[in-house]
Amino acid sequence: MLVNVPGPWSPLLGRLALSEIPYKNLILAPLFVVIVLVAIALIAGITYYGKWRYLWKEWFTTVDHKKLGIMYIILGLVMLFRGFIDGLMIRTQQALAVGPGNNGMKAMGAIHGYLTPFHFGQIYSAHGLIMILLAATPLLVGIMNIIVPLQIGARDMAYPYLNALGFWITAAAVFLIMISLFVGDFSHNGWFGYAPIFEMAYSPGVGVDYWIWTLELIALGTTLGSINFLATVVKMRAPGMTWGRLPVFTWSAVTANIIALTSFPCLQVALALVAADRYLGTHFFTAGFGGNLMLYTNLFWLWGHPEVYFVIIPAFGMLSEIIPAFSEKPIFGYTAMVLATFAIGGVSWIVWLHHFFTMGMGPYVSTEFSIATMLVGIPTGVKVFNWAATMYRGRLSFSAAMTWAIGALFLLLIGGLSGMMLSIPAINYMVHNSVFVVAHFHMMLLCIVYAVFGAVIFWFPKIYGFKLNEAWAKIMFWLFSGGTFLVFFPMFMLGFMGETRRLDWPFNPQWAPWFDVQEVGIFVYVLSVLAFVWMLYVSIRDRSQNRVHSADAWGTSRSLEWLTDTPVPFYNFAMVPHINARDEVAWRREHGFLESNPDHFKAIHMPNNTPMALYIGATTFVLGFALTWRIWWLSIAALVLSVLLMIFRSNRGDPGYVISAREMEELDRESKAHMQEKPALPLPQGGFAGGTATAYSPLPHNNSPSGGTPPSSGQAL
Amino acid sequence: MSHGHSNPIHHPEVQMASRRNYLTGFVIASLLMFAATWLVSAQALAPFGLLLAIMGCAGFAVIAQVYFLLHIDISEHNIWNTVALVMFIPLFVITIGLTWWMFSQLYLRTMPMIPGMPGMH
Repeated sequence: MLVNVPGPWSPLLGRLALSEIPYKNLILAPLFVVIVLVAIALIAGITYYGKWRYLWKEWFTTVDHKKLGIMYIILGLVMLFRGFIDGLMIRTQQALAVGPGNNGMKAMGAIHGYLTPFHFGQIYSAHGLIMILLAATPLLVGIMNIIVPLQIGARDMAYPYLNALGFWITAAAVFLIMISLFVGDFSHNGWFGYAPIFEMAYSPGVGVDYWIWTLELIALGTTLGSINFLATVVKMRAPGMTWGRLPVFTWSAVTANIIALTSFPCLQVALALVAADRYLGTHFFTAGFGGNLMLYTNLFWLWGHPEVYFVIIPAFGMLSEIIPAFSEKPIFGYTAMVLATFAIGGVSWIVWLHHFFTMGMGPYVSTEFSIATMLVGIPTGVKVFNWAATMYRGRLSFSAAMTWAIGALFLLLIGGLSGMMLSIPAINYMVHNSVFVVAHFHMMLLCIVYAVFGAVIFWFPKIYGFKLNEAWAKIMFWLFSGGTFLVFFPMFMLGFMGETRRLDWPFNPQWAPWFDVQEVGIFVYVLSVLAFVWMLYVSIRDRSQNRVHSADAWGTSRSLEWLTDTPVPFYNFAMVPHINARDEVAWRREHGFLESNPDHFKAIHMPNNTPMALYIGATTFVLGFALTWRIWWLSIAALVLSVLLMIFRSNRGDPGYVISAREMEELDRESKAHMQEKPALPLPQGGFAGGTATAYSPLPHNNSPSGGTPPSSGQAL
Repeated sequence: MSHGHSNPIHHPEVQMASRRNYLTGFVIASLLMFAATWLVSAQALAPFGLLLAIMGCAGFAVIAQVYFLLHIDISEHNIWNTVALVMFIPLFVITIGLTWWMFSQLYLRTMPMIPGMPGMH
C-alpha cells in the first residue's frame, strides 16, 4: 500500500537521520549557528526580564483579534524578510553565474555562480511560496483581522477561538518551511509544482513533502480565517451599519474571503492527490497508469488564480481607505467601487487557464480565457479612475502612507498593462516562461506590498497610540522604489531578450549588464530594509513625541475604526456606536458628534483566553513534520492528539466572562484619560543656538484679536 | 452583539444534529467510496463506463454528505446555508464545465485516440 522510499527508513525515526542536517553547507551551517545564538539570546532575555508569563498570558493564549492580527503581521514581516533574502540570493547567483568563463565557486560545488542548480531550485521555490502564502497572505489577513471588526463596530471576530486556531495553524506552516532550511531539503520544482517532477520517481527527497504539508497547513489556516471573516461581517455589524454603509476595505475583505473560502479547498484537494501519489502510490498525475499530469496544472491554477485576487483585493481595499483620508474627500463612486471589487472576485473564477495558455488546448478555449482575462481590466480600471477622481480637487497631503498608496497605483498601472499584454494568447506564446512574466507579477505583488506598507503606517497609530516616523517612512519609500525600478525594469528587458525563468546559469553573456543593474537594485532594497528597521527604532524611541492624543490620529480619517480610543482598548468600543452614515467618523466630525461620549454603558460579554489553539497548532506542525519524514507513529499520535484536544475543548466550551456596566464605565474613563494625558516629563530635545528668551511677544497696544491678518494690516476688526 | 442566547446547544443548526443522520451519511458515503474503489481496482467496466460510474458515485456521495452531514435543505432557518449553496452552484458549473471543455480540446490535440477509450469529448 505505502510507497517504498529510496534510502534508509526506520520505524522510529522514519527517513530522519543525522546526515539530513546539512552541517557541511557553507551557507546553512553558519546561518544555523547564528539563528541558534539569536534564539538563545532571545530566550535568555525573556527569562531575564521575566516576560514569559506576560507573553503566555497576553499573546500566546490570546483570542483578541487585534493581538492575533499583530502576530499575523509580525509573522508576515519575518517571512517577507526571509523571502527577500531568498530573492537576494537568486539575484546574486544570476549576476555571478552569467557571462563566459569558468566562474563557479568550487568550495560550494557550483559550476556557475555560487549555488548548485538543486540548491538554487530550492531557493526560488521557497521564495515564491513564502512571498505569496507566508508573507503576503499573513500580512493581509493580519490587517483584515485588526481592522475589519473595528470598521463594522464589533467587539471581536465572530469566532475568536477559531481566529486563534487559524493563526496558530498558519504559524505551524511557517515553522515547517523554516525547519526545512536545516533538516533535509525543500522542494526544488517551483512554488506551484510541476507534474510529474514532484512524483516520487523524480523527486525522491523530502523537499516535495515539506512543500505539500506547508501548503496544506496554510490552506487550512486561511480557510478557517475566511469563514470567520464572513460570519463576522454578516452577523456582527453595529446597529445602523447597513450593507450600503460598510467601509470599502470591509467590502474588499468580504470579497477576498469569499474567494478564499471557495478556492482553498481546490488547493487542498490537488495537494492531497499529490500526496496520495507520493505516499500511497496512486497515479493521479503520472503520465502512465491512467494518470494525467495536465490535471494537476488545471487543479492548481483553479485555486491559484482566485488566490492571486485574494491577495490583491484587500490591497485595493487599503488604498481605498488611505487615499480618501489624505485627500479629505469621500471615496469617489462608492457603489461602483464595491461592484468593481465583486466583479474582480467573480471574474477571478473564469480566468485560471491563462496560466497555461501554451499547454495546447487550442484557439477556442484560449480565446474564452483571453477575453475573460481582459475583462478584469474593466473593474480594475474603474477602481483606478475612482481613486484618481477621489484625489481630483481634493486637499491632498503627501504623508508617508499616501506616498506608498500612490506608489502602489503606479505599480498597478505597469503590472496591469503588462498583464493585458500577457492576456493575449499570441503575445503569451512569445513571452511565456520568460522573466517578462516574472516582472509582471512582481509588479502586482509589489503593488500589494506598497499597499501593505501604506496600511501599516496608516493604521499603526490606531493600534499602538503613536505614529511611525514620517521622514524615515518616506526615505524607505524612495529606497524601496529605487530598488523596484532597478530590479524589475531590467527584468522586463531581459524578458524581451528571451531570458527564461529560474535560470541557475544565464548562458548569454550579453545579459550581463542587466544582471549587474539588478544586483545594484537588490542592494538598494537592502538599504530600504535597513531604513525600515531604523524607522521602527526611531519611532519607538521617540514614541512619547509622536503620541496620538485623540481617537482620530490623522484628523481627516473617515471610517468607524477612528472613533474608538487610541490605542484601541481590548473591548474595542466601550459602547457600540450607532451608525448614521457611510463614513461615520467624517459624518460625526461634520455634525459635531465626534467628542460625544456615551452617557450609559451596558454589560459586555468577552471570550476567555485559551492555550488550546496553540496546542492544536503545535500538533498540526508535528503532524506535518512527521508526515514529511514518514514517521508513522508520530503522525498518528499527532493527529489523534489534535482530535482529542478539539473534542476536549468542544465539550468544555467557553462561558466567557462579563464586564459589568459599572466596570465598563471605569475602563472607559481610564482609557480616555490615558489617551488624552500629555507626558508629564519634559521631552528630550535637541540643543539650540542661544539668544534672548521670549515666550510670547509683548502685548500690542491695540487689543485687536490676532487672527490670520499680517501685522502690517493689523487694524481693529 | 448576539450574545443574548449564548448557549450554543440552543442554536437551530445545532438542534438539527442527530446521531442517526450522521451515521447514515457516513455509511452511505463510505459505501459509495468502496464501490468506486472496487469498480476501479477490479476494472469492472470499460474505461468510459468506469468514468461515468465513479462520477455518479461521487455525485451521490456529495448529495448524501450535504444532506445528512451538513443538514442543508431549503427550510427557513437554514436560509444562510441555502444562500451559500446557491452561490456554490454557478462556481461548480463554471469550474467543472470549463475544465471539461478545456480537456476535451486538449485531448483532441495531445492524446492518441485509442479505440474504446473515447476520452472526454
